Amino acid sequence: MKPTARRIFRWLGLAAEAVAALMLAVMFVSFLITIVFRYVFNWSSGWAAELSSVMWVWLVLWGAAFVLREREEIRFDIIYGSVRPAVRRVFTVITAAGVVGLFLLSLPAVWDYVTFMKVQKTSYLRIRYDLLYSVYVIFAVAVILRYLWLAACAVRKIEPDALTDTSNTIDKER
Amino acid sequence: MDPFSAALGVICLLALLGLPIGLSMISGSIMYLYMRGQDLGLVAERLLNSMFTGYVILAVPLFIFAAELMNTGSMTDRLLRFCNAFVGRFRGGLAHVNIVQSLIFSGMSGSAFADAAGTGRIIANMMTKDGRYTKSFAAALTASAAVIGPIVPPSIPMVLYSLVSNTSIGFLFLAGVLPGILMALMMMVLVVIQSRRQNFPVEAPTPLRELPGITANAFPALMMPVVLLGGIYSGAMTPTEAAAVAAAYAFIVSAVLYRSISLRSLYNSLTAGARSSASIGMLIAGALVFNYVVTAENIPQTLRVYLEGWNLTPLQFLLMVNIVLLLLGAMLEGTAILLIIVPVFIPTAVALGIDPVHFGVVAVVNIMIGLITPPYGLLIFIMQSITGARLKDIFADLMPFIGTLILVLAVLTLFPDLVLWLPRQFGYQG
Repeated sequence: MKPTARRIFRWLGLAAEAVAALMLAVMFVSFLITIVFRYVFNWSSGWAAELSSVMWVWLVLWGAAFVLREREEIRFDIIYGSVRPAVRRVFTVITAAGVVGLFLLSLPAVWDYVTFMKVQKTSYLRIRYDLLYSVYVIFAVAVILRYLWLAACAVRKIEPDALTDTSNTIDKER
Repeated sequence: MDPFSAALGVICLLALLGLPIGLSMISGSIMYLYMRGQDLGLVAERLLNSMFTGYVILAVPLFIFAAELMNTGSMTDRLLRFCNAFVGRFRGGLAHVNIVQSLIFSGMSGSAFADAAGTGRIIANMMTKDGRYTKSFAAALTASAAVIGPIVPPSIPMVLYSLVSNTSIGFLFLAGVLPGILMALMMMVLVVIQSRRQNFPVEAPTPLRELPGITANAFPALMMPVVLLGGIYSGAMTPTEAAAVAAAYAFIVSAVLYRSISLRSLYNSLTAGARSSASIGMLIAGALVFNYVVTAENIPQTLRVYLEGWNLTPLQFLLMVNIVLLLLGAMLEGTAILLIIVPVFIPTAVALGIDPVHFGVVAVVNIMIGLITPPYGLLIFIMQSITGARLKDIFADLMPFIGTLILVLAVLTLFPDLVLWLPRQFGYQG
């Protein structure tokens, strides 16, 4: 891949990570607002509680779609980690075929469900549910594209991770 | 093939070949719905609704963030100095410090991984500096000490258990206190024995007149568990709110009092916290979707009827669950076991008259021991990457600790009162 494309990918990765960090920050602050409003001022704080929940849903699915690298995700890698790279690439192609096939299969129904939810709004912030839940569609499409890409890399015998990695030293937890 | 077996087959195949477990469970659930001819949109509906309305789960990212802040700010360093001043003067001092700090620090982070990667990293480096302890012993001890973290409140695994079992998280937290202390004491006894045999080093004793200063320095950090647990048990806060307050407290102490947090390090805490939250959140999301399938198939009740046919006594049942969970824990990730396997056993436990809080504590202790059991214990690998010791040596040094912890597990299994005494003092009817 050309250096420019590489730089764009890396920049996008950092931007996605910044968005995820912002979501966690908003979730945290709105949760604190809930507490202060309820206990100190005795004000209603339903909107802030709702905002934290919105941020949580978005943080997880956004993070899984654009921020997490394969090795940061919780997985069972005794077998995967102990086989030769060639076998590992076969594994990648099989799992990619499975996950892409099943996610594609469900995508039309998922789309119907999410768009159908436009008739409802959340209780406090009055966010239309189709907008709120659209993050699942984003997530599903990202998963499909990511695993197509991983399978393509496996077939062409390239190491995919080095390309857009933003996680470098942060991966201290596992 | 019936839809449930097909779903299970898809999950096992994909997970064994290395797909993230959360994604494997979502894929298996899609397979199930497809074969049943049900609406595939249910996958999105289940995932989104249960994530959006699950108030208790919000405690998970908040505790993760609190732990990140404490590791970034200098709270953990000060706590270590405090522990060292008190127990460093004994033979095998640093080893005791390691255990004691785990007991105190775990009162805040709620995560064994945060313990191992935070204070665990610092103290393991202190132990191996100048070759005073072998790298493998430092790694084995730190991993074992980190196991105490999620037993003593607050605890992310306990939050997850409360989520799948509808048990009060407040009582679960209380139920973990005595078992956690017992685990720490037993490990310290083991260290005393090992110190005599292997002649472990002693730290230069901190002069008595310095103790008040060191204590004052660590005082705000030491107050964290008090703020947190006081808030929960006075009834003033829910555990989820307490998690947010813990993070806010860690931030204020680090930023204002200790002045040890910069904008840059705050941002790093946020990104690291967001990554961990998304990673564990995906697993929770997958488990929530798959739980729909498990419930639709009535699996827990079927298992209950089946196991009742065996005429097990409650104790036999608990021992069986212990063995199953220990074996699974040696191979599978702990959170996955807690969210998928444990719920299946709960109806049987309740039918046998086993208290759900007692069952939860036993299950969590079990799963935590799994984190340090070869071949798959995640904590072993974290400590290996921190200390650079050889896996084989760490395994050897771990064995006495695993033995001790299994002994504690047996005691907790046999004597439910040990677990339930403290919750009962706070009004638990069980």
